Amino acid sequence: MNIQYKKGIIELCVLSLLKKRDMYGYEISDLLSKEISIADGTVYPILRKLKTDGLLTTYLQEESGGPPRKYYSLTEYGSESYARDREEYIRFAKTVEALIEGD
Amino acid sequence: MKKNEFMDLLITELNHNKVPDSSDIADEYEQHFFFKMNDGYTEEEIAAKLGDPAQLAGQYAVDENQRILKGKGIKAFTVFGLSLAAVAAVLFFILIIAWGVVMALFSLVSMVMAACLISGYEPLLNIVPMPSASSILFGLSLIALSVLSAVGCIYFAAFVRQLLRAYRRFHQNTMAAANAKPGLPSLAPFYSFASRSKRNLRRVALATLLAFAALSILAIIVSMLQADSLQFWHMWDWFK
Repeated sequence: MNIQYKKGIIELCVLSLLKKRDMYGYEISDLLSKEISIADGTVYPILRKLKTDGLLTTYLQEESGGPPRKYYSLTEYGSESYARDREEYIRFAKTVEALIEGD
Repeated sequence: MKKNEFMDLLITELNHNKVPDSSDIADEYEQHFFFKMNDGYTEEEIAAKLGDPAQLAGQYAVDENQRILKGKGIKAFTVFGLSLAAVAAVLFFILIIAWGVVMALFSLVSMVMAACLISGYEPLLNIVPMPSASSILFGLSLIALSVLSAVGCIYFAAFVRQLLRAYRRFHQNTMAAANAKPGLPSLAPFYSFASRSKRNLRRVALATLLAFAALSILAIIVSMLQADSLQFWHMWDWFK
């Protein structure tokens, strides 16, 4: 599947994961690359883009035995934008499914 | 590809594409290597699964460029607004700097007059004739006034300077935001002196204020006694 096309959907998936709880970068990358076939590295540019767009914020947290982890957390703007994009995506996916069904 | 090779390539490509905060980005991949290696993967396996570093850097660059493009529309608007603000700011600064100049000149003139009065400089004393005891007392009170307004000038200069710097920073940051570049932290509009010089300035200001008040009252009383009149200036024909 086209990478640019996937990117928008992965953004939605990232927001959905962070809606449940704050996560650090590797955690998100690990969870997503298990489910969707993308290169492990692709999630990081997306996280950064969402952060510069103001949908996410980050904070560092010390962990025993390892570098401090950079946690990502959904901003208020991020969760609003997620709710909107989610609706839009579901409607879109249903339409596409109905269209291509039975081919 | 080994971890170091991957990281080097990534950073080189990020810098090549002028992506800001490349070290911040690199940190994220460093952590990725750290966690994966803890899970028992080899450096080569991890690098292969991460993808091509050049392509990843390209991804960052694409997002960065789109952000800059989005900023272009509002840029003209920002420049227009800032120009209007700048015109107002320039007029305002000319006005308050002029006030500072007036205060500095006042301080200078007071000092010169004081020197003339104390030294008994003829041309001035011909205009406002008075006995030497009065002229010395008036001269001393003018010295106090001159120092007082000099302190005022120092405060005022610091205030104006900080205001100018804060305005400049605001201007730069607004332009940076319009160009989708990171800005610097904004500055406080009011200057605060170091506590020691603040104490000293305050002490000098208070001392000169008291000296000015005391000396001028004393000078007036002495003059009244010497002229033997409450309106000594009429006795000495000052406003003839």
